[in-house]
Amino acid sequence: MPVLLIIVPLLALLALNLPWMRLMNRLALWVGLILCLTQACLVIYAPAFFLEAPSLWLGRLFLFEPSVDYLSLVMFLAIAIVGAAALMVCRYSIHTAAEPGTCANNRFLVINLVILALTGMNGVVLANDLFSLYVFLEITAVASYILIAAEKGRDAFEGAFKYLIMSAVATALILAAIALLMLTAGDLSYVNIKLAIMASPHSGVVLAAVAMLVVGLFIKGGLIPFHGWLPDAYSAAPAAISVLLAGIVTKTTGVYTLIRIVISIIGLSDTLENLLLFIGAASMLVGALAALGQSDFKRMLAYSSISQVGYMVLGLGTGTVLGIAGSIFHLFNHAIFKSLLFVNAAAVEQQTGTRDMNRMGGLAEKMPVTGCTSAIAFLSTAGIPPLAGFWSKLIIIIALWQTGHIVYASLAVLASLLTLAYFLSMQRRVFFGKLATGFESLKEANAWILIPACALALITIGIGIGIPWLFETFLLPIRSLL
Amino acid sequence: MTSEWILSLAVLAPLLGSVLLPLIGRWSERMRNGLALIFVLIALVMAVTLIPVVATGATVSVQLAGFTLFYADTLAVFMAIVSSLVGAVIVLYSFGYISHYPWRNEYYFMVVLFLGAMMGLIFARNLLVLYLFWEITAIACWRLIGFFREKSYVLKADKAFLVTVFGALVMLLGFIMIYNQTGSFDLGQIQKTLQGQPISNIAVVLILFGILSKSATVPLHTWLPDAGVAPSPVTALLHAAVLVKIGVYVYARLFLTGMAIEPIWHTVVPAIAAVSALVSAGAALIETDLKRLIAYSTISQIGFIFLGLSIGNEIGIAGGLLYILMHGIAKGGLFLCAGIVEQNAKTKDITKMGGLITTMPVTAVAFLLCAFSVMGIPPMGGFFSKYMVITGAVTSGQIAITLTFLVGAFLTIIYLFRAFTLVFLGESKLAPGFRPAEGSPVMVFSVAFLGALSILSGLFINFPSQFVQTAVHQMLGLIQ
Repeated sequence: MPVLLIIVPLLALLALNLPWMRLMNRLALWVGLILCLTQACLVIYAPAFFLEAPSLWLGRLFLFEPSVDYLSLVMFLAIAIVGAAALMVCRYSIHTAAEPGTCANNRFLVINLVILALTGMNGVVLANDLFSLYVFLEITAVASYILIAAEKGRDAFEGAFKYLIMSAVATALILAAIALLMLTAGDLSYVNIKLAIMASPHSGVVLAAVAMLVVGLFIKGGLIPFHGWLPDAYSAAPAAISVLLAGIVTKTTGVYTLIRIVISIIGLSDTLENLLLFIGAASMLVGALAALGQSDFKRMLAYSSISQVGYMVLGLGTGTVLGIAGSIFHLFNHAIFKSLLFVNAAAVEQQTGTRDMNRMGGLAEKMPVTGCTSAIAFLSTAGIPPLAGFWSKLIIIIALWQTGHIVYASLAVLASLLTLAYFLSMQRRVFFGKLATGFESLKEANAWILIPACALALITIGIGIGIPWLFETFLLPIRSLL
Repeated sequence: MTSEWILSLAVLAPLLGSVLLPLIGRWSERMRNGLALIFVLIALVMAVTLIPVVATGATVSVQLAGFTLFYADTLAVFMAIVSSLVGAVIVLYSFGYISHYPWRNEYYFMVVLFLGAMMGLIFARNLLVLYLFWEITAIACWRLIGFFREKSYVLKADKAFLVTVFGALVMLLGFIMIYNQTGSFDLGQIQKTLQGQPISNIAVVLILFGILSKSATVPLHTWLPDAGVAPSPVTALLHAAVLVKIGVYVYARLFLTGMAIEPIWHTVVPAIAAVSALVSAGAALIETDLKRLIAYSTISQIGFIFLGLSIGNEIGIAGGLLYILMHGIAKGGLFLCAGIVEQNAKTKDITKMGGLITTMPVTAVAFLLCAFSVMGIPPMGGFFSKYMVITGAVTSGQIAITLTFLVGAFLTIIYLFRAFTLVFLGESKLAPGFRPAEGSPVMVFSVAFLGALSILSGLFINFPSQFVQTAVHQMLGLIQ
């Protein structure tokens, strides 16, 4: 009954906003958390729930026919975990001060929009035809624009505006591509489009459509050279929203959709393969180099995100089963460790009142849990074993090497070193070292930060150490479906 | 207890135990210190227990989820005993040294984790497991070098981390090449697939790069002298027990027992080692910082170990292995002495000391004994190992390289005597009236123990050398 993943959150949203419920807006957080945790538990303990066909009466209500495979399950899990983390950070960092003239408060609105964005992403993962995909992409995007601007500062509007404009371009391209594909195939389901493309692989219309689709998704995923909006959007957004955006939104709308479309519809031609490898490597390197020069905590993390997305696209570009499995695995790991870094960024920003790393120093002394979990997260990002990030990068590099892309494999290794370099500089300026003046009375963040931080850190370590077991249950199913 | 359990315990006791230490430390300092020592001693005792098993030529392996996780042969047990023995003395010494600095919980956590990862690396049977522990040591090393939190110290810690991780990543590419050639990361499987065929030279270069970066061999050595900003027991750990020994051990594990390499490497690696030994001995001659001086000495001595291991004959390899033991004991002793001197004289500059033998006689004698061993003066342990390595080099007919090493050995004598004279003999150049006292009892006991061990290992050379002979026979038997 995968359709419930969309229906239940939507009904919950409606219920929360019924006039007589609005007074109980404290419930919103718990509703969101319960939705996320239920989704995560269902994926882990009852995957059969998602794989079974919808019952007839429910299926007839919708024209939309969801499809679920192991790839989707990984995504549902990532969405649920990051969603829960983001909601807890909302509770921590977004104030409840009511706006004049309304009976709602800011936190309540943000939590509603987060639930909406999560619903949209579930839909993106469930979609089995291009039109539903498009609709859910837009739901997610619209929720994100408002969320970025939620704090109503100048920067927030700038970030949201940039994202809006770039996303609008992406949307226009995707919509045009959909129109062209509809023209060719007469239908929008993945299967029929795939058949139509296979029937006439060299027609100009199909090529144009594929090109527009891929470029649109590059913009959504924030790849070089379409990354301009990403650092502004991530750093201007409220802390909790950065967690959501960096951890899962751009990964689902950009990277996951790209992977899904490549494996379900267009397949990898030589040109596309080279394009993906090149763009992936460029993002990986440029993102890492740009991150080296940042002094704003969240901007550094944003550039790091661009760099990591590059790895995922590289994995996809190999076109082999191993590479794509590595790519998905890295997407999942990235969702965990990048959310963790943004959760810590939220804590640091809230406790110190600044994001400028040059003004900090030695915070680990006063905020030991934040310091320790952020060290775990960055080591995982840099691909240091025994943490999760190492294994996914290793799989991607092995896949690159096996397909003969030795130069790209070496670049991927080099980029790991760059990742380590900028994160070490971050650690040195923020956590490690002597306590900077002015922070003598600094306090550790409260439980709303520490619980998600510790949970995410444990997941990263757990995946890293448990890989021999997870390889059977987690990676091989991904491979089997390709 | 079966051998499998003993082997697992040797690795897991310090590795998992280390996590408990900071938690226990919040509650009781003494209990944490005691447990830290016990965890390392468990590793030592377990490794010693394995001696009778492996001495007969048998091997022990631990299977997990269908692949071989740990594997013990004579070489691994030998190495484990060296590391855990020196490691245990260093932990004991830390009780005195670290007691008046903050962040003690983190200190014991990282030191024991470091030794646990070393045990894991020694007993690793799979290239990925090896890589995993390799990087854990890098993480621990990073935290420990930056332990005092000064900005420049943290920068040096970052440098050490970046250099060793860069080496490790390059090495990982080499591992991936081997994986592509043989289809497996398991050393036993690789050996079976290769059937004595040499692996490709590019893979050797890549792996060698990682090994040299970890073992701080010229030109990838610069991080090691800088690492002297760490607390002294940590530098002893880096130089004597764990970090730089990782490189030589992995060289022995991969290229002497695991897979064959082309004969050309039996000339190239000794040549690199010769350059390294000579350059760093020269640097040690002019260095005035006591800890940096000993660090350069380590780089130089590592060259000797590489010479023995890579020269390609039996006596050389046996000498190289013995060298690991003797150097571990003696260099550990030197650093711990340097720690006492530095902590009590409040300076590391040897030109500003002098005459310390009057107030810290035990430390001075221990320093001298360890220095004799490093110099290779009979009947110290270091003499036998150096003698065997040089004999190996002469036997192989590499005359130029042998001569270079003889010069290096000569320089070793000069710079160590210079250091000893400037620090312990002559007039005191410290502030008038300032008479540095001897270190605390556990610290003095530790250095005296290592000093005594340096001489005892020479007097009873028969015991370690027989064990090493078995190891070498087993290693060479495996490769042919």
